Amino acid sequence: MATTQAEQRVGAREIAAPRRLARRTRNGPAAVAFTLPALVIFAVFTILPTAYTFVISLFDWNPLNVAQSRFIGAGNYTKLFAHATPSFGASALTSLYFTAGMVLGGTAISLAVAVLLQRGGALLGAVRVAVFVPHVTPLVATSIVWVWIFNPQFGLANAVLHAAGLSGVDWLDNSATAMPAVLAYSLWHEVGFTVVIFLGGLSVISGELGEAARVDGANRWQEFWYVTWPQLRPVTVFVVTISTISSLQAFTQFFLMTQGGPVHATTTLSFLLYQEAFVFFHTGYAAALAVVLFVVTALFTLLQFRTRRSSSR
Amino acid sequence: MPISPLTRAVAVLAAGVLAAGGLAGCGAGSSSGKTTVTFMEAMSAGTLKPSLEYLTKQFEKQHKDIDVQLVSEPDYPTLRNKETASLAAGKPPTIGQAYSDWAATYAKSQVLVPLDTYAKQADVDALYPGVRSDLYLPSDHKLYMWPFNKSVVIQYYNQKMLSAKGKSAPKTWDEFAATARALSGNGTVGVAIDPGGAAGPAGGEAWFEILAAAYGTPVFADDGTPRFTSAAAVKAMTYLADLKKAGALSLGKNYPGQVALGAGKGGFDISSVASFFYNKQAVGGKFPMGTAPLPSGPAGAANQMAGTNIVMFAKASDEEKKAAWQFLSYLSSPDAQAYWASHSGYLPVTPAALPKMADFVAKNPYQKFGADALKTAKADPPYPWVTKAQGELAVAMQSALTGKQSPAAALADAQKQAAAEAKSGE
Repeated sequence: MATTQAEQRVGAREIAAPRRLARRTRNGPAAVAFTLPALVIFAVFTILPTAYTFVISLFDWNPLNVAQSRFIGAGNYTKLFAHATPSFGASALTSLYFTAGMVLGGTAISLAVAVLLQRGGALLGAVRVAVFVPHVTPLVATSIVWVWIFNPQFGLANAVLHAAGLSGVDWLDNSATAMPAVLAYSLWHEVGFTVVIFLGGLSVISGELGEAARVDGANRWQEFWYVTWPQLRPVTVFVVTISTISSLQAFTQFFLMTQGGPVHATTTLSFLLYQEAFVFFHTGYAAALAVVLFVVTALFTLLQFRTRRSSSR
Repeated sequence: MPISPLTRAVAVLAAGVLAAGGLAGCGAGSSSGKTTVTFMEAMSAGTLKPSLEYLTKQFEKQHKDIDVQLVSEPDYPTLRNKETASLAAGKPPTIGQAYSDWAATYAKSQVLVPLDTYAKQADVDALYPGVRSDLYLPSDHKLYMWPFNKSVVIQYYNQKMLSAKGKSAPKTWDEFAATARALSGNGTVGVAIDPGGAAGPAGGEAWFEILAAAYGTPVFADDGTPRFTSAAAVKAMTYLADLKKAGALSLGKNYPGQVALGAGKGGFDISSVASFFYNKQAVGGKFPMGTAPLPSGPAGAANQMAGTNIVMFAKASDEEKKAAWQFLSYLSSPDAQAYWASHSGYLPVTPAALPKMADFVAKNPYQKFGADALKTAKADPPYPWVTKAQGELAVAMQSALTGKQSPAAALADAQKQAAAEAKSGE
C-alpha cells in the first residue's frame, strides 16, 4: 500500500519528535549534571595533571621550592637529545627492543597456543585456564618470584642449566641476558590475555573455508597460513596494537627485577621517566619525557582506532 | 518525557554532593591541645619499628605537652619521595630522616632550619668525632642535621666454614681474597654482593668505596669531586673483578650476601652493623656467625659511616620546632642511644651510651669495634650529586664485574658522568 507525501511527513515528524527529545535529554543540563561527578574526577586526576605536566616540562622545576623554578621554554625537550647516559635515544631503543620482543614473540606464541587449544574438551579447557592464570597474578608479586627464579646461586633457571651440565648465568646482572630474562617473565605474564583474544577470533571464523582448502589438498600449515590466519587479520592487528601500547608503558617488572640495569640495559623510556622524576628529581626534564611518551602512546592509540575502523568496514 | 525543573535541581544537587564527596578527605587535622611533632622516618622493618616506638612513648611520658607522630615509610627511597612530595605540597613533617646529600638539596631549596640556635656546643661535643663532622653543610658551614641511626661496615662470616678450612677472620684484604677463594666451589661462594644500579647504589657499591679508600684514595674528595679513575679505585675494581672471575664473588639482588650466609652457602657478608639482627635471623643458629672489623688495605683501615641524620623543616611553627628539638636531644641522649643500639643493631652516636649497654657490648663485640670505627670512619661528602655519582659507580661495577668493560674503562665512563653532575651542582 502506497503512502501519501502527507502521511510520510507526519510519520517523519512522529519519529523526529522523540529523537529530538532524546537528543535534548542527552545534551541538556540534567545530562551534564549527571556526568559532572565523573567529569570532575576525570579532570582532577587526569586532565589537569596532564596539562600541569606540560607546563612543568617548560621549566627547570624545583619541586621543593617552586619559587626557585625557572622558565626555560623548550630547554628540557632539546636536552632529551643531549642528556647524559642513558640518553633518550638509547632508552627509546631499549623500549623498542622490549616492545619488539613482546609484540613479535607474544603474538606468535599466543597465536600458536590459541590454535593448539581451540578444539575444546575438558583437558584443553584446563590448559586454557592454566595459560590465562599468570595474567591475573599481580605483577609485583610474580616479578619478585621471577627474581628468585633468576637468582644465580639459588634460582631455578640456573638449577636447570646445571642439571643439563651447563654453567650458570648471571641472568639479571649481565647486560646481555637481563632484557631476555625480563622478556621471558613478561611473556609468561601477558600471553594468557592475547591467547584468549585469538581464541575468541578463532571461534567466529568460518570453518567451511578451511574444509574447502583441505578438500583442495592443502596441508595443515597451508590451511593455517593461507586460510585461517588471513581471517584473523583484524584480531592480529588488535593484539599487535594493544601489545605495543602496553609494552611501551611497562614499568613494574623493570622496577622490581633490574632497576633499569645492568649498565642501563633495561632502562626503557618508562623507567627513565620514573628515574628522572622520582630518583633524581629532575622534574622538568621528566615532565618533558612524559609528554613525549604520551604523544607516542597517543599515536599508537589513534592507529588502533584507525585500524579498527578500517577492519570493521 | 520532559524533565521537570525539580528533577533537574535534584540531579544538580546530587552531582554536587557526589563531587564534593569525591574531593573530601584530601585534608585531615586533629588538635589534642598538645604540640604535635611529626617525624617522617624509615625505621619500619624488623626490630627498628618497635624500638623507635618504645623510645617515642618514653619521650612522651617525660613530655606530657608534646605528641610525637611517627610517619613510617618502608625504605629510604620512599622516604625521600614522601618528604619531597610533602614539601612540594607545602605540608612537610616537622622533622625527617635524611642523608647528608638530601639535606644539602633541601638546604639549597631553603626548606630547612639550621639547628645552631638549638644545639649547644656541649651537645655537639658529646658525639663521636666522625658523627659530629657529618652534621654540617659546606654551603654555609651551619649545623643542619642531628644524628640518629649511625652504622659502619663490618664482616660477618660463617665460623664453621672458615674453621673447616683452617682460616680465621682475615685482617687484610689480600687475606680476605685468599680466604674467599678457598671457601668457594660446589655451590658455595666466598661473598655475594649487590652493587645496586643507576637508580640507587647498594651495599656492594659501599664496599667498593671502602676498598678504594683502603688502597689509598677515597672516591670522593672532601669537596665532593669524584676521583673514580685514581690508581686506588682501579685497583679496588680489579680486586673485585678478579674475585668474580675466580668464582669467589657472585652478584645478586635483595641482600644476596645475607641470603648466601644464612643458607650456609656464603663464607662472608660485607655489610652494615645494622644488618646484625637480620643476619642472625637468617643464620638461625645453624652455625656460629662471627663478626670482625673490616680488613685493612695497603693504606690502612678504611670504613664508611652510613645511616641517616634528622633534619628540621622550616615550615614548622616556633613551638613545634622547640618541641622537635627536645625530641632530637632525647633521641641522642646516652640512655636513648643505649636502648636504640641494643635493639636496632645501629651504633650509639655518643660514647657516653657504651657504659649503659655494657652487657649487650660484652655479648656482641661488634658494637665495640663498630663504635670505635666511628672515631675515624668518614661519611660521603654532603653534596647534592653524591648519590647519583654513587649510582654511576654501581653501573661501573656492573660493567666491570660482568666483563663488559675493563675496570679502568668502566671507571672512566663513571667519572665522566659524575664529573658532569658535580659541575652542574645538582
